Amino acid sequence: MTPAAPLLRWLLLRLGGVVFVLWAVSTVTFFAIRLIPGDPAEAIVGGPGSEASADALADARAEYGLDQPLLLQYLRFLGRLASLDLGRSYALHQSVASVIADTLPPTLGLAVVALSVAVVIALAVAAWSVRGGRAASAVASFLEVVAAAVPHFWLAILGIVLFSTALGWLPPVSVPGPSGLILPALTLAVPLAGFLGQVMREALLDAMSSPFALSARARGENENGVFWRHALRHSAIPAIGLAGWAFGSLLSGAVVVETIFARPGLGRSLLQAVQGRDVPLVVGVVIVVALGYMLVTTATDLAERLIDPRLAARAVSR
Amino acid sequence: MPLLAAAAVTAVLAGCTASPASTATSTPVAGGTLVYATGDAEPTCLDPHVGGNYPQALVATQYLESLVSRDSTGKIIPWLATAWTTSADGLSWDFTLKNDVTFTDGTPFDAAAVAANVAHVQNPSTASSTGYLALAKVTSVTAPDAHTAHFTLSQPDSALLESLSMPWVAMESPTALKRSQADNCASPIGTGPFTVTTWNRQQSITLTRNDAYNSPPADAAHQGPAYLQSIEWRFLPDSASRYAALQAGTVDVIDNVQPDTIVQAQKSSDLSYLSAPRPGASDRIELNSSIAPFDDANVREAFIRSADVNDAVTSLFFGTATRSYSALSSIEPLGYSEPGIFGYDQAAAATLLDKAGWTDRNTDGYRVKNGQVLELKFPVSTNQSIPAEQSLFEQLQATSKQAGFKVDLEPLDLSSWYGALGSNSYNLVSAPYTKVGPDVLRTLFDSASTKPAPSGYFANHAQVTNPTLDDLLTRASQSSDATERASLYTQAQKIVLEGFYILPLYDQQNGYLQRSVVKGLRAMPTVSTPTLYDTWLQK
Repeated sequence: MTPAAPLLRWLLLRLGGVVFVLWAVSTVTFFAIRLIPGDPAEAIVGGPGSEASADALADARAEYGLDQPLLLQYLRFLGRLASLDLGRSYALHQSVASVIADTLPPTLGLAVVALSVAVVIALAVAAWSVRGGRAASAVASFLEVVAAAVPHFWLAILGIVLFSTALGWLPPVSVPGPSGLILPALTLAVPLAGFLGQVMREALLDAMSSPFALSARARGENENGVFWRHALRHSAIPAIGLAGWAFGSLLSGAVVVETIFARPGLGRSLLQAVQGRDVPLVVGVVIVVALGYMLVTTATDLAERLIDPRLAARAVSR
Repeated sequence: MPLLAAAAVTAVLAGCTASPASTATSTPVAGGTLVYATGDAEPTCLDPHVGGNYPQALVATQYLESLVSRDSTGKIIPWLATAWTTSADGLSWDFTLKNDVTFTDGTPFDAAAVAANVAHVQNPSTASSTGYLALAKVTSVTAPDAHTAHFTLSQPDSALLESLSMPWVAMESPTALKRSQADNCASPIGTGPFTVTTWNRQQSITLTRNDAYNSPPADAAHQGPAYLQSIEWRFLPDSASRYAALQAGTVDVIDNVQPDTIVQAQKSSDLSYLSAPRPGASDRIELNSSIAPFDDANVREAFIRSADVNDAVTSLFFGTATRSYSALSSIEPLGYSEPGIFGYDQAAAATLLDKAGWTDRNTDGYRVKNGQVLELKFPVSTNQSIPAEQSLFEQLQATSKQAGFKVDLEPLDLSSWYGALGSNSYNLVSAPYTKVGPDVLRTLFDSASTKPAPSGYFANHAQVTNPTLDDLLTRASQSSDATERASLYTQAQKIVLEGFYILPLYDQQNGYLQRSVVKGLRAMPTVSTPTLYDTWLQK
């Protein structure tokens, strides 16, 4: 057996898992959205409360196959999914794939910027507090708890009132260009930085007082060197372990942030689709999010292996 | 006490509605882009024939036009049609059309175009709901000559002109209507002062001036093309950031302004508010008379007496809303008000409940009868009731508790809310209904409206089934005599109000907050949507 084989097997298992999870997630969503009150045919003829005629409703049901038994609808849906066809949105008169293609990039862009900002904030606070003694540690810990606890909508409004209405520095709603991205990104980044900071600071404190840090100091390494060259790597592992969770948190935050700052994105599409009982769009967005989540967790597993050789060795021997 | 509160509200309101409309002082300037930020949902289709809701009407007012309009006194006035006549039996109508109007794709506007539009609205595959109901009595439209549209009706319809004034039956290019629905939804073609240029979904619609425009309604302030070069129609769903964007000058006009924001804005010299209540029904709480306990008129009256609406309106709307005592909006000329019967009176409520047999109270203070608690289910649509209105319902819950009512407020999203209505398990509900003219009374109170439409929707939430009322409403809808029509509608409204089927609150709140550089903004006296045709930007 070549040395790559265990890794390959692990990847294949992962891939099988991905397919299974996608099937499960789309099935649950498909049926769950039919359990909440509301007729999907109404989403097609103009939203809930429409006074559409019987003919109009019959036309809509026939066009989207809603007049078929639910099981048959489900099987057709699976068939389409297997051929990578997400169907057409009931409400938007567009294909689900094109809606997602339009709205995924702005959400991903926002998420990546927010994540980067969160890491920088968390790292800066952690680095300062680890070397600043107990008082600094207490202050940092307090800031992290507060940051992690504030809800997105509150931060967003606070940001608008402070930086837009009072100071006039930033636009209150999304405008093209980087200035429109600052407030939305900060809103998403601050709570995330709070969580990341808590985890990283603990790992950093452990690392800075561990034997390898002591021996590095003994070799004449100064505190900066110990921190950047040795301790940081240790704090990265628990932080990366949080990545899957962070991805979920960023996407759920995007629903709020995109609405408040009027940014186009996947979060707003999802909100609109759920409210309108737009089944194909809800299922499509959920599948994309699930896929993204699994990609992130797979990537973090791989990254943890790269950073910490012990993990790779353990997995292979298993 | 309640009367005093009402007087206070009117006094405050009189002080604050005077501010806008001071535009005649300077000469209009052409050019510029106005940014309009709407808090209404983004339409899924820009053709208001499809479905037919208010968000569509708001934007379509800028690029589509109707056969007739309505002036601020409620009189029907010419628009794309210059004159109309009806036969003695009321079953046929002839509309004379303007003869020099073209759609922005070059297609001429003529009688064939009118016929094509009516056919489009009535075609089931268009899935029209609002427009379809408005044209329910129209059986066919023919073109005896190019500029005469001949309508044939199945029954006389005294509301036909009011119906035709609404944006949901506006005229679109028949050439454009032949395209796929997806194409027509993305870029409908009308005769209006602006055209749809681009639609960036979830962001904005760009509307560009129609330089060949020549068909304003009879009450417009000027002739010829619009002043504005273009409009950026933005979707800003959050009310706090929408207002912040207006303050920052990022946008020029916003809608869906919350009461506290209106009050705050009135302190600023840079902002002014244009109040434009919607036509049709007043905002009201409907009492479901089909099931206990509101199948007993005494209990309905007791609830109405125990609900201190005036204090709640004063404290939650800060004088931005005037209490209504009518089933119809105050902008409907045929609205009938009866303030005398809606007084707040806990003692009267208690007597009425005793009389209805709800004599005992449990340990929580709620009335009981045969072991049954006097409980009222109140599903609240969080999409349709603004936060101030939801708080108002909470205050009414508190005051009616004194009389022994246990009101269960259930905040629900729109689909679940319609679900709750469909299962007929509600006792109280509040739903807006926008429509031009008093025929909305037939929609809301005719017994036929208790039967669900094919989609499950029904509009008679109070579930009034009264043969006398049905007869009055039918005769009113068929009457060709204006005086008789007015008298029939007054009698009908008396039955509704005096039967305690509804608790009127205020007009359906609607208005536009604008920066001082915006001049000449006007709300259409039809469905109160803003028209930017006469609007210009002061440099």
